[in-house]
Amino acid sequence: MQDRPTAIELLEAAADFVEREIVTATSGRVQFQSRVVANVMRIVAREVASEDSMVRAEVRALADLLGREHPHVHSLADVSKAATALNEELSKRIRAGDADSGSWRTDVLKVVRAAVEDKLRVANPRYLEADLAIRGG
Amino acid sequence: MSDRLARFIAAEGGFSAVSIANMHRMAGGASREIWALDATLEKDGIRETRALVLRRDPGQHKIDTSRRAEFMVLRAAHRERVPVPEVFWLSDNPEVLGAPFFLMERVDGETIARRLLRDPEYATARKEMPAQLATILAKIHRIDAAAHDLDFLPPPGENAALTEVRRYEESFRRLALEPHPAFELAFRWLLARVPRTPRKTLVHGDYRIGNVIFGPEGVRSILDWELAHLGDPMEDVGWMCVRAWRFGNDRMPVGGLGRREDFFAAYERASGVQVDPAAARFWEVFGNLRWGIITISQARTHLDGNVKSVELASIGRRTAETELELLNLIELP
Repeated sequence: MQDRPTAIELLEAAADFVEREIVTATSGRVQFQSRVVANVMRIVAREVASEDSMVRAEVRALADLLGREHPHVHSLADVSKAATALNEELSKRIRAGDADSGSWRTDVLKVVRAAVEDKLRVANPRYLEADLAIRGG
Repeated sequence: MSDRLARFIAAEGGFSAVSIANMHRMAGGASREIWALDATLEKDGIRETRALVLRRDPGQHKIDTSRRAEFMVLRAAHRERVPVPEVFWLSDNPEVLGAPFFLMERVDGETIARRLLRDPEYATARKEMPAQLATILAKIHRIDAAAHDLDFLPPPGENAALTEVRRYEESFRRLALEPHPAFELAFRWLLARVPRTPRKTLVHGDYRIGNVIFGPEGVRSILDWELAHLGDPMEDVGWMCVRAWRFGNDRMPVGGLGRREDFFAAYERASGVQVDPAAARFWEVFGNLRWGIITISQARTHLDGNVKSVELASIGRRTAETELELLNLIELP
């Protein structure tokens, strides 16, 4: 068990410094790259906070979609491996035309959209919010 | 670097003396190095200073392009009075600057699309540019490739749309490090809707507001011709509508500036060719998928160690943006 600050708190502190001190003191290419650096740190902080529950939910949804039992795995690394294997199986089924039409297509679109939305909650939450705002009307 | 460059320019242009000043790397260009410089050139006792841009390959990239091809296409576009920077000298020889490069005119103006979409000084440009871009695009599609010795450009095959889908599917299968079911769904959607492509023209290949130099009055120059090829002109029309080029202004699908219908109508007026909305939609879906595969490719360029860059690395996490847009588009009735 590590002491405070947590990993997220450390990353936020570093990102704040990059945004407040480096971005404002630089220009051109270095300023642009500094913004990218701060953004990458925020992505990692959000991922540390939510990766575990997101991947587990994705594995459950994929297993249900593909008619498989929920895998008995515990560590995050094993859950991620299961997610990759299930996404590969789903990809194969889509390539074979199984999701071209019908009610299974509706289920596939729902599960794939949920997983993509979770990726955006980590990588670019503002993009997802803008998308939901537009689709909501 | 400037000494070797000065010697190269002197030899290529037949100048008695060349000196280079103010050379610095410009912002942007995730996949290409762009340098600004001023060259003072002397010939027959006459001295002139030219504002130049140097484009150079930084290293090995996943999607290979050629400086020579880009140079030739730019020259053809300039001769056909498409607004582009005039190109001057090209080097394929890696011994000059470590990688192929060429030099072209530096056109004054802004290239940052976010400024175009937000700053008050570009209000007129925002209004004028959709029609300007449609008119220029029609002009690009009229360039006779054979007459300008552009036959070496990638050919469209039997069906340009199918050729492009297959080409990017091959890249995707080769480059992706994890499964992407959203892309699989998009490939199925596209393969079921491949348009017949009666017109075969020069295609710019990267026609979007991020590749335009503009001023308060509108378009000044069209840049980044490295992905030019022969194919279906509707590919450029669809690419203009890709979501990533709207920079958040999603209510205006054409580069965050205008509506599809108006852009299509302006293109039709300038080209005399009808835009089939179904074909344009096919190419818009393809464009989003293509940008998604490019994000994977850019991340691979970093991960494979060819070019270490936090910018390229971070683009790998933009793949999900295109996945979401693809789901939106293929779920439309």
